[in-house]
Amino acid sequence: MKSLNRREFMKGSITSAAIFTVLSQGKAYGANERVIMGVMGLGGRGTYLAEKFAQRPDVEIAYLCDPNTRRFARAREAVEEAQDKKPKLVQDFRKILDDPSVDVLINATPDHWHGLGTIMACQAGKDVYVEKPLAHNIWEGRKMVEAARKYKRVVQVGMQSRSAAYTKKAKQYIESGKLGDIYIVRVFNMMQHPMQTDTPNQPVPEGFDYDMWCGPAPKIPYNPSRQWLNQWEYSCGPIAGDAIHQLDLARYLLDDIPYPKTVFHAGGVNVLKDGRETPDTQLATFEYGSLTLLLEAALWTPYMKKTPIEIRDSDRFPNWLFNGTKIEISGTEGFMHFGRHGDGWQAYNADGELTQSEYGRQGDKEHQDNFIDCIRTRKKPNADVEIGHQSVLLCHMANISYRVGNQKLEFDPKTESFTNCEQANKYLKRKYRKPWVVPDSV
Amino acid sequence: MLHRLSLSMSIIAVCCNCSYSKWLEISNIKIRQEPTELGGPKIIIEYDIENPNISPASPAYVFIRYGKDETNWYLIAIDRLQGNGFDIVDKPGHKRIIWWGTDQTSFADVNQVDIRVRGIQMIRIPAGEFIMKSLPGGGYDESKKITPTSNLPLFYMAKYETTIAMYTDYLNEIGGEGAGWNQRMNNSNRCGIVRNSNYTYSVEPGREQYPITYVSWYDAINFLQWCGLRLPTEAEWEKAFRGGFFLDGDETKKCPNPMPERRYPWGDQAPNADGIYRCNYDGTEDGFDYTAPVGSFAKFSSPYGVCDLAGNVAEWTLDWYSTSYHVGLDGFRMARGGSWMAVPDACDAITAATQLPLKESSIMGFRGVKEQRKSY
Repeated sequence: MKSLNRREFMKGSITSAAIFTVLSQGKAYGANERVIMGVMGLGGRGTYLAEKFAQRPDVEIAYLCDPNTRRFARAREAVEEAQDKKPKLVQDFRKILDDPSVDVLINATPDHWHGLGTIMACQAGKDVYVEKPLAHNIWEGRKMVEAARKYKRVVQVGMQSRSAAYTKKAKQYIESGKLGDIYIVRVFNMMQHPMQTDTPNQPVPEGFDYDMWCGPAPKIPYNPSRQWLNQWEYSCGPIAGDAIHQLDLARYLLDDIPYPKTVFHAGGVNVLKDGRETPDTQLATFEYGSLTLLLEAALWTPYMKKTPIEIRDSDRFPNWLFNGTKIEISGTEGFMHFGRHGDGWQAYNADGELTQSEYGRQGDKEHQDNFIDCIRTRKKPNADVEIGHQSVLLCHMANISYRVGNQKLEFDPKTESFTNCEQANKYLKRKYRKPWVVPDSV
Repeated sequence: MLHRLSLSMSIIAVCCNCSYSKWLEISNIKIRQEPTELGGPKIIIEYDIENPNISPASPAYVFIRYGKDETNWYLIAIDRLQGNGFDIVDKPGHKRIIWWGTDQTSFADVNQVDIRVRGIQMIRIPAGEFIMKSLPGGGYDESKKITPTSNLPLFYMAKYETTIAMYTDYLNEIGGEGAGWNQRMNNSNRCGIVRNSNYTYSVEPGREQYPITYVSWYDAINFLQWCGLRLPTEAEWEKAFRGGFFLDGDETKKCPNPMPERRYPWGDQAPNADGIYRCNYDGTEDGFDYTAPVGSFAKFSSPYGVCDLAGNVAEWTLDWYSTSYHVGLDGFRMARGGSWMAVPDACDAITAATQLPLKESSIMGFRGVKEQRKSY
């Protein structure tokens, strides 16, 4: 792994990364051997994952990485409280990839770094836990799948709800036929977001490698008021970034139904007109033949709440009417409420009578267990990269429909492109800023 | 300083020196009960507070709590008090307070209760405009509908971070099996509170003046409500750090702030510039491997004299984190000020960290603020 200086390699493009190919499936782990991890991205989610994995006796966090050194302390403290060894603190994730002792890269960066960070980790022989949404764009997601398969890496996507036990029971209930045939599934993602503030551009703070933070995306003037979630160059949008959980759950409950035939989007930036690019209102219809999946999402609905903390992981159900992250499954013989945050589910018959209930517990630990188990067994994890790609595809399709004027788009699964709108195909792939280019051949 | 009075006589005077703890020293407490013709009984509380540093710019915040049966303690509401020795006390000397309406407190005789008088050194932050730079995420308190602002009314902020001794005193008063305490507080490098077998709490010797750590956001607000204080908003914290355009406030505008956009409390020099160490950040070169006793870098306090806003422990604020899709859900709160584990750059005026309110961290503590009391 250290046969070539990585800085020299970076003078070219990422295309050269194939030089670093590691074709072995992974090392053999002793029963007491710990999985060595590096964490890329120390925001809230990255810090959480660093802490949770560090608390496991079978894991050691060897690196914490963020371009912004101001983010080190919170994550470092969490890790040092959980494990004996102090992690190394780095601003450049390539130092993690260069270290042959590291087995895993946890990629908890903003959306625009998910793809390249994961692909480079696969090329360097690391297994990857990458946060949702899997990829910044459809093309990139496919490249991530290709990289994982080519280098035989385990890539688990942070869609942990599909590892929860109650989710599996809901799927079994649906498969038992008690709801009849399923024709409509409604996925909600109703939230409350503040307006962005409007402040002048600022100098980049000391200790922040802003060029690295931008990575494949354009290096626009630094402005901390400009929220990356609201900008296409960095994000799939705040709705996609959250609704992906419910969309993935809906797909799971429907036996991971692949590729819709069409998408039709309504909505836009209708309420939070603060200069954002990504929509604050998204109503998307996905047609799978006779099955229709509906996404209803907004950022301005204060009465629609995510499940309160005290309800999650408890023997209580949320107030479904005002639950902002629910899934409704309509069959010919029954109906199901399903909640994302360990909310459980409730099913009703044709007379509206409650037929079955299941309290829920969130699946974070099970998801992490599954990842570690798959690292050792080399099996595909619960939220394998292909599943992540198929789920985030829905977000991208809805966004692209919006970006071409809310047109109804037809999708070809074989080419993963649109067949009735050439303009839409321009959004399948981003423009990458050198040297952070995802190559055609990973 | 803490005074606990077990009253078996009508007049009791207790004096002890607890200045190590960062409670202010209060002495010669005398308490007596007097009947009134029409207003029911009243209790007269007199004490001396002789600290020469007490001034309008650096007053004491004095609060009084009373207890019955060793277990049930209550903060005496300010509205029930009259005199010159409670809330913000801006001159040293002899103080006298009348506690009215004690017949409404379910005891008829002062001999039935214990009374504790405590004081905290505060700093006056005058009303006026300042430059708030910590955007986004800062200054927006959804619970109070406070938006980012560049103008704040007068408030008072604790000069020091809440200490281990103060917090231990609180734990012992509220009692119980550990609300507000967690096992990690045993860590003698990073905290140092021991829970005894009878659920009393002790400070590891020498750790009294260190800032309390491993406190959740809820622990912090519980302590401050016990005192009659609250957490600062991000705006208040940042103004105390950097100073307003006029350090005497906008009413007088006689003392302009030479550096209203300063990066650190002392100016723009890095915390370790020129071999001078101005706050407690990561590493040992500043003299501290972990936390430092509060006030250890008093020479480098804020323009108003607030200590340790940079480094030592990051400080919980009242504000929600409001820029992500977690807003109002998981309830992320903002912490400010860098810490003993942070890089020097992170000890500046704008660095903020989000934390889940249940997080109990060795790099996080808190201090209280008090708004100006309305006069009627």
